[in-house]
Amino acid sequence: MSTNIIDIQNLEMVIAGRRILKVDSLHIARGEKVAILGRNGAGKSTLLRCLNGFVKPTAGHIVVNRHTVFPLRRERDLRLVRAQVGQVLQGLHLVARLSAMENVLVGGLARMPRLRSWARIFTNEETQRAQAALKAVGMAHLAEKRADKLSGGERQKVAIARMLMQQPELVLADEPTAALDPTAADEVCELLVKATENSTLITVVHNVSLVPLLSQRVIGLKAGEVVLDCASHELTQAQLDHLYE
Amino acid sequence: MNWMQFKLRLKGRLGFFGLVFLYALIVFGCVYSLATAGDLSMGRNPVANFIKTATEFARPSFLDVWFGDPAYEYKSDDGTVLRTENRQEVEHQWLVQLGFATWTTFKIATLGSLLGAILALPFGVLSAKNIKAPRVLTVFSRLVLDTSRSIHTLVFGLVLVGIVGLGPTAGILAIAFHSLGTYGKLFAESIETLDMASIEAVKGVGASPSQTFFWSVWPNVLPQWVSSHLYLWEYNIRDSTILGIIGAGGLGLLISEAVALFQWGRLSSILIVVVLMVTAFDAISRRIRTALL
Repeated sequence: MSTNIIDIQNLEMVIAGRRILKVDSLHIARGEKVAILGRNGAGKSTLLRCLNGFVKPTAGHIVVNRHTVFPLRRERDLRLVRAQVGQVLQGLHLVARLSAMENVLVGGLARMPRLRSWARIFTNEETQRAQAALKAVGMAHLAEKRADKLSGGERQKVAIARMLMQQPELVLADEPTAALDPTAADEVCELLVKATENSTLITVVHNVSLVPLLSQRVIGLKAGEVVLDCASHELTQAQLDHLYE
Repeated sequence: MNWMQFKLRLKGRLGFFGLVFLYALIVFGCVYSLATAGDLSMGRNPVANFIKTATEFARPSFLDVWFGDPAYEYKSDDGTVLRTENRQEVEHQWLVQLGFATWTTFKIATLGSLLGAILALPFGVLSAKNIKAPRVLTVFSRLVLDTSRSIHTLVFGLVLVGIVGLGPTAGILAIAFHSLGTYGKLFAESIETLDMASIEAVKGVGASPSQTFFWSVWPNVLPQWVSSHLYLWEYNIRDSTILGIIGAGGLGLLISEAVALFQWGRLSSILIVVVLMVTAFDAISRRIRTALL
C-alpha cells in the first residue's frame, strides 16, 4: 500500500504532434505541500488537469488517492477521485448565477443523495457546515450574493469555502492568486494554507515569493518535463534562472 | 511609411471600401430599376390624401361611445333619410367585439408561442455546436429551423387555413411554426454560450452528470430561455394581430373589415389597442427579464 497520494508513471501527452507533457515518474506523498513552477506553456496546468481527469494524456499511468485516473476503467472512478480532490483555479470557477452559499453547498454534492440534490434540499447539518465554511473564510456576510457579483478575491475565498465543505484529501490550486492585488493574494494564500492543513496541496505558482508560504517541495516544469524537484528552502536563484530562461 | 506598412493599410481598407462600393451598387440598382419602370410615384395627390386619412385617423371610433350622435341619419343623395342609427350604441357594441378580438389575438399569440417553444426544444438542442450530436441530426435540425424562420407567419397561416380551416387553430399553428425557427436558434445560442468553467466547477467536486445538469447547466440556461420566450411571446402578439386578415380570427379580422369599408376611425381604435397591448406586455416582460438575468 503506497503512502503516496499521487503516483505518475511514464506520463506523456501529445497534441497535434507537439509534446505537451513527458513525466517519467512523479510521486507525491500524502500531506505534502508542493509548488509547481515553470514558464507559460510549460505544462503546469495540463499536469494539474490530468490529475482530476479533465485532460486525458496520450499514454502513461496516473493513480490519485488509490484510484486509477488514467487509463480510466469506469467513469464512476473519476467521480470518486474528484469527490476527494478540491480545486481552486484562477478566474471565476464558480457557478455564476448561484449565490456564494449555494456555490459552497456544491462542495457537498458528491455525498448528497441524487434526488435531494436535484431539488436543492439540504439538511440542517449541510447548511450549518456551509455557513461555517463561509465564516472561516470571512465571507458569511456575503452568503446571499451572486457569485458573478463578487470581487476576484471574494470569489477565490468562496472557492476555498467550497473546498472546506468538500473536505478533500488533495487540493489542486492553479494560480489561485492570479489577477488579485497583493493584499488579496496574501489573504487568499493564507486561507488556502490554513484550509489545507490536513490535506495535500499542489499549487501552480507564478509568483515565486509565495513559494515558501505555500510549499515544502518545488517541482519545476520546462517544456513538459520535470527539470527541478527539491525542497522549497533549497531553491536557489540559479535554479530559478535556469527554469525561466 | 514603407511599402509593407502601406500594403497592410491598404489591405484592410480596400476590403471594407469594396464592401461599401458593392452595397452602394445594390442600392443604386434597386432605385434605378424602380425609377426607370416609373414605380417610384407617390400617387396623384399624396398631400391631400394624407391629410384626409390623418384627419380620419385622428378621431378614433371609440370616442363615439360618448360623443357619437344618438340619432345619426344616413341620407341618400336627394336628402331622403335612409336609416337612423344610434352611433353610441353601435360603437359600444363594436368596442365589445374589439375586446373579444383582442382576447382571441392574445390567445393565438400565447398558445402559438408556447407550442413553438416546445417544438423548437429538440431542434435547438440538436443544432447547438457544443452538443456534438450526430452530423445528420445537426444538419437536419438546422434545416428545419432555417426553413421555418424563412417562411412568414402569414404564408404558414394561408396554408394552414386550407388544412385546418378558418379560426384560431390555424393562427396558433402558424405562429408556432414560424417562431419555432427563432426559438430554436436562440435556444442553440444559449447552449453554445454555456459557461464551461461553471460546469467544470460542479463536475470537479465529483458531481454526477444529472447533478451537473441541475446545478450548472440549468441555472445557466433557464433564465435565457425564459427571456427569449418572453421576447418572442411579445413579438408574436404583434404578429398575430395581422393573422385575422387571412381568416385566423382576432384583431386582424377587424382590421381587414375596417380597411375594406374605409373606416379609418375604427382602424385607429384597433391600432391604439394593439399599441397599448404591446407596450404593456413589453413593460412587464422587460421587468421580468432584468430580474432574471
